[in-house]
Amino acid sequence: MARFLLARLVALVFILLALTLAVFIIDAAVPTDPVAANLGAGASQALIQATRHALGYDQPVYVQYVRFLGRVLHGDLGTSLRTHNPVAADLAQFAPATLELALASVILISVLALLLGLWSASGAPGATAIRFALVSLASAPTFFFAIVLIFVFYSWLGVLPASGRTTAGSATGFVMTRDLWTGNFAGWLDGLRHVLLPAVVIALGPAVAIGRVLRGSLVDAMTQDHIKTARSKGISEWAVLLRHGLRNALTPVLAMAGLQLGLVLTGVIVVETVFAWPGLGLYASEALVNSDFPAVIGVTLVLGGVYVVINAAVDVLQVLADPRLKDQR
Amino acid sequence: MSTGDAVRPPVAEIRDLRVSFPSPKGRVQSLRSVSLNIMPGEIVALVGESGSGKSVLGQSILGLAAWLPGVEITGSVQVAGVDMLGGDERRRRWVQRHLLGAVFQDPLTSLNPTTRIGRQLTERGITLQQALANLHDAGVPQPALRARQFPYELSGGLRQRTSIAMALGTAPIVSGADGDGIPAAGGQVGTGGAPQLIIADEPTTALDVSVQAQIVLLFDRLRREHGCAVLFVTHDLGVAASIADRIVVLYAGRICEVGPARDVLARSSHWYTRALLAARISVDTPATAPIRAIPGTPPNPASLPLGCAFQPRCVNAQDHCQEALPDPMPRPTKDGPGFVACFYPEPLLTAVTPAAAYDLLEVAAAMDPPAVRPGTALELISVTKRFTIGTGRFGIGTRVVHAVSEVSLAIESGGALALVGESGCGKTTTLRIACGLVTPTSGSVRWGADAGRPQLVFQDAGSSLTPWMTVGALIEEQLARRGVVHKERTAGMLELLARVGLDARAASARARNLSGGQRQRAAIARALAAQPRLLICDEPVSALDASLAIRILELLQTLRRDFGVALMVVTHDLGVARRVAERIAVMYRGQIVEEGPVEMLFTAPMHPYTEGLLAAIPTTEPGRLAPKLAGEPPSPIGTVQGCAFTPRCPYARPRCTSEAPVLRDLGGVRRSACHFAEELGAKP
Repeated sequence: MARFLLARLVALVFILLALTLAVFIIDAAVPTDPVAANLGAGASQALIQATRHALGYDQPVYVQYVRFLGRVLHGDLGTSLRTHNPVAADLAQFAPATLELALASVILISVLALLLGLWSASGAPGATAIRFALVSLASAPTFFFAIVLIFVFYSWLGVLPASGRTTAGSATGFVMTRDLWTGNFAGWLDGLRHVLLPAVVIALGPAVAIGRVLRGSLVDAMTQDHIKTARSKGISEWAVLLRHGLRNALTPVLAMAGLQLGLVLTGVIVVETVFAWPGLGLYASEALVNSDFPAVIGVTLVLGGVYVVINAAVDVLQVLADPRLKDQR
Repeated sequence: MSTGDAVRPPVAEIRDLRVSFPSPKGRVQSLRSVSLNIMPGEIVALVGESGSGKSVLGQSILGLAAWLPGVEITGSVQVAGVDMLGGDERRRRWVQRHLLGAVFQDPLTSLNPTTRIGRQLTERGITLQQALANLHDAGVPQPALRARQFPYELSGGLRQRTSIAMALGTAPIVSGADGDGIPAAGGQVGTGGAPQLIIADEPTTALDVSVQAQIVLLFDRLRREHGCAVLFVTHDLGVAASIADRIVVLYAGRICEVGPARDVLARSSHWYTRALLAARISVDTPATAPIRAIPGTPPNPASLPLGCAFQPRCVNAQDHCQEALPDPMPRPTKDGPGFVACFYPEPLLTAVTPAAAYDLLEVAAAMDPPAVRPGTALELISVTKRFTIGTGRFGIGTRVVHAVSEVSLAIESGGALALVGESGCGKTTTLRIACGLVTPTSGSVRWGADAGRPQLVFQDAGSSLTPWMTVGALIEEQLARRGVVHKERTAGMLELLARVGLDARAASARARNLSGGQRQRAAIARALAAQPRLLICDEPVSALDASLAIRILELLQTLRRDFGVALMVVTHDLGVARRVAERIAVMYRGQIVEEGPVEMLFTAPMHPYTEGLLAAIPTTEPGRLAPKLAGEPPSPIGTVQGCAFTPRCPYARPRCTSEAPVLRDLGGVRRSACHFAEELGAKP
């Protein structure tokens, strides 16, 4: 196992390096001159040349990449053209909101997918209707679904807020986590009411996708011979399903979960814009509109890195779930 | 059975059990009024071909029949007085936890692959200590280590021993502590720690013959030590003969006959049992001795005849047999009570004795050996195949598998060679090298001068035939590849079908519409379409019932005679090898350890491994427990010093561990790789 983990770790480093290279190439290929843009239209040619030299833009490309890598490793992602703050500081400010939203979504995805998978695999009454309803909802485009939810729950029923993280106003930082930590139950509930709609919008698609894979592989797992052995031992059918069926159904589910979490990251950008959620998505969409390339690069690196790490974690989880895979990868 | 047992109530009581479930061809009547008692401590063998309902009966006793999709069950099954078909689920579970053990056919799939063995063994609420004791009891070495491992880390034999240890691990009965469903009065409460009844569903079918003998011995010992009854489901009368007190013969969902093993085997009363015994491919039968194949084919369980299901194949059938179902009647026995479900157990035709009546059955496979032609069909010269396994990342942890080492073999034109050995011995890799699917690491392969590629026939013909193509199209495709012009293809295809004993209707059928025997015939017809000089068959009959297997072997012999095609048959079944081949090569850990003419090897083996394999094969002699070939088939990973067979060899001497034997020529007709081959051959 240790050797497997080490191998995965080495691979992870290489993938992350490839990610920085990809980001660097995109950055270099953008037709805007970052120096000219930084200095403004009135800057003299001599000043541009001097700044170019000072910032190292006259160096060969590979030297520039190594320097870029060095800066990234030191947490220096440049300065945002829009906020004029260091991008790293901006990211640190906006990331907690996204993290909390993503966490809420992941919890919702897990619960929904598990319910959907177990319910429809068990063939209990109503399973087909639930599956039909969820698949239909998940087929709608994210922004459309978000707008419908806002219309129903905010404009029409008036039970849930439609924007921001708290009633007090947009807040950055770990709002809900802090409330939970300090026992501010009313505040936490307020946060929960705010996070509910965007989390549902993000979670529904992945939950249905994962739930369907879970159902298929669970039905498959429950027809295997060892299920017969388990039943012959006189343990309850729930124990058979959870202990013997679910564990053996996990491999494709984890693979699907890894892919879907990538979609969650992209979904965050749309959903945060619609719900005015002060996170990385909102920051990124504003950066994009304003050609704030350092900010875009920073968000890309962070989200890309998270995606790579999640999928490496999926690899490890798959081996934990099914140790036979260890020798195959 | 002692007289004391007779007054004890049965462990399991089956009354008028009828089980049916839906199939695309109509409702399958899997069991049709089966009644049976299993007494404490007795071993009952349940013998039948595929589709006879024997597994369904086992699952009904285990309380698992309700899980068969669309199943309908009537009648009753009681274990220790508890209804195993319906009624209170908690009581049924109580019986499953405390009184019953189950062992299934394939130990690879019947253990949970992702859960450590220890957890699976303790699931019924026994302590880990007890589980380790059970592993030890079932003959698993290093129980503490095994308990921490996953099933895939164990060999086939060890996995099946683990399954048996799990069957032994019933929860101990502590009165009062488990009050949710104590069985009704009349059911006895066991001693705890061992089940009262183990249902073993073909527990040795997936195992090598040497391991099979070990497992059969294990069941016999467990019965003696723990007093648990065993229902041993098997298709092999030989296995049944070696272990059973009583034998139950099942055909098309009904019991044909039941009685003490000795009576059923030596004085069978039912014509099906008699035919099965006559059709058995035994290792003791010389290749030229006649075997009486059972005429016809097993019935379709979705459309059974009104009368006796065996009537269409029975030599003694009368008109009355078509109209009524015979009920079990007491039969004359010597060793205990028995029943037979036949209207006319005595021969009625010209024959006077049942034995003479066999002669009325078709005589199969008693033909002159086909002529061997000059030239060679296949020559393997010092063929070696190694490959590496392991994660291989940065080259850490890779290990070398010596699949095939220095194998030299030749098959004459029109000749037949059988390659035998246990699983993992390299016979399949040798086969793949022989037909050009695998390139050897070193050595060379030569096919006959005018010959093309050899053709392959696989064990599971069903999966080797493209599912969406008709049999006719598959054969015509092969003919087209050979350059047969379009308008001649249909005629050629029909002729090939006729040659393999299929009628023209098979041309428009797809593999899934054919029975197992028909599929194998279709696969052979496709192979023949290429006009090969060599047909390579991988376990060609091991998926078929005995009555069909002999027909396929007969067909292969006919093809040799009529087409002059040479045969290479890879099999683990020495009976099949003796029947089909002139020469046999025995493989052990990637090497040929003995090779020579069939009759010589069978009557006077000159390698202890061949001797051990021959001794491990069950015969229909009642109560003859096959002597075991000790140990497990070896792993082909890494290298060994000296003779690889030494750890399992009863004759091993110091020289065997220090010096590796080479395959030596003995008298120009046979070869052996034992230092002491001559001594072994001189044994009486």
